[in-house]
Amino acid sequence: MPPDDAEAQDAIAGDHPFIMQADGRSWLFVPQGLEDGPLPTHYEPHESPFGNPLYSQRANPRRQQFKRPENPYNPVADEPGAELYPYVATTYRLTEHHTAGGMSRTVPYLSELQPAMFCEVSPELAAEAGLEHGGWATIYSSRSAIEARMLVTDRIPPLEIQGRKTHQIGLPYHWGTRGLTTGGAANDLSSIALDPNVHIQEVKAFSVGIKPGRRPRGEALPRFVEEIRERAR
Amino acid sequence: MSALDSYGAEAQERVGFFTDTSVCIGCKACEVACKEWNLVPEDGLVWTGESYDNTSELGANSWRHVAFVEQTEPEVDALRWLMSSDVCKHCTHAACLDVCPTGALFRTEYSTVVVQEDVCNGCGYCVPACPFGVLDKRHLPRKDPPALPLLTKKEDGRVWKCTLCYDRLKGGHEPACAKACPTDSIQFGPLDELRERADKRLEKLQAENWNGARLYGRDPDDGVGGFGAFFLLLDEPEVYGLPPDPVVTTRDLPEMWRTAAIAAGAVVAGVVAAFVGGSR
Ligand code: SF4
Ligand code: SF4
Repeated sequence: MPPDDAEAQDAIAGDHPFIMQADGRSWLFVPQGLEDGPLPTHYEPHESPFGNPLYSQRANPRRQQFKRPENPYNPVADEPGAELYPYVATTYRLTEHHTAGGMSRTVPYLSELQPAMFCEVSPELAAEAGLEHGGWATIYSSRSAIEARMLVTDRIPPLEIQGRKTHQIGLPYHWGTRGLTTGGAANDLSSIALDPNVHIQEVKAFSVGIKPGRRPRGEALPRFVEEIRERAR
Repeated sequence: MSALDSYGAEAQERVGFFTDTSVCIGCKACEVACKEWNLVPEDGLVWTGESYDNTSELGANSWRHVAFVEQTEPEVDALRWLMSSDVCKHCTHAACLDVCPTGALFRTEYSTVVVQEDVCNGCGYCVPACPFGVLDKRHLPRKDPPALPLLTKKEDGRVWKCTLCYDRLKGGHEPACAKACPTDSIQFGPLDELRERADKRLEKLQAENWNGARLYGRDPDDGVGGFGAFFLLLDEPEVYGLPPDPVVTTRDLPEMWRTAAIAAGAVVAGVVAAFVGGSR
């Protein structure tokens, strides 16, 4: 801990977490440098089943969108068709793998510790969607559909949001088509909508649907995704 | 004479592990570090669906096993995720040592229990003798596993288990798992020191109302004479898949042999009596 009369960099304690800031602290008021400053606010994710309770601007107006046929967005909030992608998916890492797995799914000692793409849901969602622990599920967005083994767990509870019970789906994003262990790539499901400051795509919250069983193969896969997209239109 | 006395001047202070599961974060670095150092082969790419545990149990190809236990506490509607890195207990009274006919299993100068891979003949007597299911004969999960170049790709049928990194101890290093553990959940050191440290830690946790906290295998007067590798658990041992009341499986052997000898004596006496009686 620096003494009270410390100045300049000497006053920055080792446990001040905002290491990119000159003072090691987070700033509420950011006078320059941010595309969407100077004060923080709440926006819903680009794809979300909800409107913004704070004010009428639903999602960040400065986010970068790419309206191209290969990057379709799911209908959101109360838009028609949003109910076809009713769940909130979030992607995350496991300690055993590194990013998309290119450097860890080739290593036997790491692959054996997390040897299959899986997806985590609550017992409530499992019951609602007819999913079986240990079985297969197909998770889909308007971009693609992937399959994963089902891990039913109380760790991913439904959330009560705006008076509505909302289910979450947890997706590790470490799998792909090559290596010792292969499996569905969660990033196939997410869209390209970038935050305005550091231009990272929104993969921590987006909307999906889920159903039991393995995904369609070959040409049947894009047909399956397209068919749901048609219904949502 | 204890095994240690035979080491004479080479005898060392007894060392072991204190695995404090209350700070384990389930990263499995211990499992990987162990395999890297000891050239333990991959154990198969099997997804179990048992929380994040795809190792399942200790075995010839897994000398550390991190258990993941998801618990819901209905009273508070809260969930906790227990993680605990299991290992060979390096028992004070080790049944595996008692039954090994080749002397492959031996007590080292550090009072740890080690299998000598060049002596073990794969008879498997020690497998059922261990009260914790630690010992296991090596089978490889696949015909051609993508093993490290140094690993044999043959099924060898011998038993393999934690050596408490005997080779590292000889070089003055701590075991690989303890070295790799980022939270010091695995602590290595002289057993007396570890016991003291564990008592303090338990006191602290109890003062903070961790009611389930307990030491497992710390005491010399439990079933196996105390563990060289003992644990701090946050709940009953059964919750982690550990036996609540481990017993040296060879404990009753002397008594059984005595009983058998008495019975054999009685048979001999009977036969003799029959002959003597018959000749009359
Ligand atoms: S835990 Fe099992 S293998 Fe380890 S020393 Fe005790 S009896 Fe032997
Ligand atoms: S390395 Fe340490 S923290 Fe990580 S799983 Fe093993 S015991 Fe737990």
